[in-house]
Amino acid sequence: MLFHTWPFALFFIIVYPAYLALKNTKLRVPWLLAASYFFYACFNPLYLILISYSTLLDYTVVMKMAKSARRKMWLSISIVNNLGLLGFFKYSGFVTDNLNFLLSSLGIPYVLPAPGIILPVGISFYVFQSMSYTIDYYRGNIEREMSFIRYATFVSLFPRLVAGPIERAKNLLPQLHKPPKVSIQDIADGLSLFVVGFFKKVALADYMALYVDRVYDAPEQFQAPALVLATFLFSWQIYFDFSGYTDMARGVARMMGFRLMLNFNNPYLATGLGDFWSRWHISLSSWFKDYVYIPLGGNRKGKFNTYRNMFLTMVISGLWHGAAWTFVIWGALHALGRFCTRELERTPFYKERAPKLVKQLLVFIFVSFAWIFFRAETISDAWVIVTRIFSSGLANPYCPLLALALVFAVWLYQFAYESKLKWVLELRAVRVGIVLLLVFYLAVFAPASEKGFIYLQF
Amino acid sequence: MPENNILENRKDFCPPNKTEAVFSSNSVRLSGYEWTFVGIVTLALFCFGPRLWERAEKYEPEPHYRLPYELSNDYWLYSRYSRLACSRNEILVIGDSVIWGHFVSKYDTLSECLNEIAGRDHFANLGVDGIHPVALAGLLKYYGHDISNKKVVLHFNPLWMSSRKHDLQTEKEFRFNHPRLVPQFIPNIPCYKDTYSKRFSAVVERYVPLLSWTSHLNITYFENMDLPTWTLEHPYENPASAVTFELSTSANNSQSEHISWTEKGTAKMDFQWVELETSLQWNFFRQSVKLLKKRGNSVFVLVGPFNEHMLKGESIEIYRKMKSKIEDWLQQNNIAYYMPPTLPSELYVDASHPMSEGYVMLSKQLFENESFRTSILTPSPKPRSVGDYSSGDFASSDAKIDFSR
Repeated sequence: MLFHTWPFALFFIIVYPAYLALKNTKLRVPWLLAASYFFYACFNPLYLILISYSTLLDYTVVMKMAKSARRKMWLSISIVNNLGLLGFFKYSGFVTDNLNFLLSSLGIPYVLPAPGIILPVGISFYVFQSMSYTIDYYRGNIEREMSFIRYATFVSLFPRLVAGPIERAKNLLPQLHKPPKVSIQDIADGLSLFVVGFFKKVALADYMALYVDRVYDAPEQFQAPALVLATFLFSWQIYFDFSGYTDMARGVARMMGFRLMLNFNNPYLATGLGDFWSRWHISLSSWFKDYVYIPLGGNRKGKFNTYRNMFLTMVISGLWHGAAWTFVIWGALHALGRFCTRELERTPFYKERAPKLVKQLLVFIFVSFAWIFFRAETISDAWVIVTRIFSSGLANPYCPLLALALVFAVWLYQFAYESKLKWVLELRAVRVGIVLLLVFYLAVFAPASEKGFIYLQF
Repeated sequence: MPENNILENRKDFCPPNKTEAVFSSNSVRLSGYEWTFVGIVTLALFCFGPRLWERAEKYEPEPHYRLPYELSNDYWLYSRYSRLACSRNEILVIGDSVIWGHFVSKYDTLSECLNEIAGRDHFANLGVDGIHPVALAGLLKYYGHDISNKKVVLHFNPLWMSSRKHDLQTEKEFRFNHPRLVPQFIPNIPCYKDTYSKRFSAVVERYVPLLSWTSHLNITYFENMDLPTWTLEHPYENPASAVTFELSTSANNSQSEHISWTEKGTAKMDFQWVELETSLQWNFFRQSVKLLKKRGNSVFVLVGPFNEHMLKGESIEIYRKMKSKIEDWLQQNNIAYYMPPTLPSELYVDASHPMSEGYVMLSKQLFENESFRTSILTPSPKPRSVGDYSSGDFASSDAKIDFSR
């Protein structure tokens, strides 16, 4: 059940009025939990076993932690279990493939059977969210949640269940404690977020995907211009796809009186890689910062250790995205980019004299280059794309001008939004005009989309 | 860890953010009043958009018009055409490719042959190529509102019951024609396996004209593709230039070769007829009859003529029994009908489509049929342009038929 499909509309039409009716009663949270579990079961009812197990485990661990002096042991149980779940469902195929490669390289005639496990939708998101609760409790940053129902709702709240944002207990649990105040402005805000997200997904991301898929499915058949444009459009596709999802998730949550954190903040206007990661998938990058980078030592023990910690964090972040070497390379590339921009930002010339636009374009080009490894099916595919970009001819790319025009229109809007011209975009006529245009385009030209979100596979 | 170190870490890895408090990364934030305004404008677009479009888009079907083959899935246009036909023609001929005339030119269809005998353009061809009774019921129900208080010749093609697959009863999924017109949920069509999202979308499209109108735009101007897909095929063209506001008004040529089945050497077949009582197609055909009657139409059912020459083995007997049961139902429900005798073998292209000479013969038979004359050719209480038919008139018209075509 995806936000941009009719089944979700029907689901929400049923769930929302009942939620509003129950919001001041004791049934509010159970109703939310039931709706969230139903939402998740629509992907596959068996997933409920997994999320229930993860939830029950972390709830119990924190309960034990509260009563036990061996807090660290209980924390370890939680972390091992959560990472074990991820490892089993997400990485067992990857590990098996690599072991088989190793065995064949060593000339050992044995092939481990493929595990054939389906990756449950959203597991990386809710496992991280649940894990952050136990860690935060262990650190003494939050109070223990006494109600299991409330805790289960915190883990499974349907707007953010399958692709985030990865909310912290500190932000979301208190919102589940008190009856929400749903004002007209909340509903209006939720609609605003939802419509923008819907447009990003249906009108933009899925449109870009048409060209990107065509080129990336057979990169050897295309030459440099097509490969460059497909990579350019993929950069925007993944942004529109994921930020569109987040906007819709935040919009739905807002209509229900919840405030979920901002997850994307115009990342292609970043002037450095650090800046990029403070704008891209913010909930994940801050999770890695708090639970991986800082525990590794952060920047406390000199430049080498700082860069080592950054590198490890980025590689782990790459692996979080997918169980393949392409994601590891993608993470490593970002680590490299961060070293470079961090050092550059310490030079007076780059810091003070290099034009902002140049920095932004450099970061965009670098991030787009790294996306090649993220998008390609295999390392060899990625290598084909990279080599052909620099060595093949200049054949006509046949890239739709309309797609490019839409991307540049969005990019210009974002530049204006972060410039002195922001006031123009805030004029009522402009805001309302833009929404009317979005609605008109969606109603008339955008095809009914069933295409899943890219980040659902993580 | 010292506070300044934590801050430094944050700045390094991911600068501190105040994202919990940030609404969005754009200025698209409307108030309740502004959303009300947007809602009103959107509602106006949904209500009046298609109607305004009708005024801008030139659509003047010529006398021998039939819905162009490539626009068979344009139900919005069908609705528009049926409205036009209702205002221009006295009698509507509705059915599948047998009525549409898949193997003949637009001048040789059944409705044209009937017009030729009548000497006037009384009959309009409202056939849709490839439509089966289940889909036809949907078409009439959701896009044929204007077909009311008219005389309707409704064709039933027994071919749709010639196997479980034709009758949409197989469990295995297969792509049949016009899936958006069939019931999406109840009754369950076993071979229809579209996603719930597509099914909901099909249901909503039936009730929101704007959505069927957008399909019309796609089918008519964007080569049956949505705009994004069209731009992929025409990357440097301006989509606006493709919208010419002009509809194809002619569908002259036949869609397949006009050769008789005997000449083609098609083998006889042993059809695995489904039971009439359990047939999905028959069930929906009956619903169409009831719906048309409910809307005040005078319905005349034409069954066949099926190519019995093509049947072998037990299937002839089973077919005849089935035909007899169909006749019983029509009689029990006081529905005017005609079950023409099988045409000569060489006048069929396949199991159900007559050659052009077959249409001429069929139309002649119809004009000689008492039931057809009384129910269809009798002037309606509110005549527009139909003359007073008599047997003599038909006889004189018969003489004008050119059998050499």
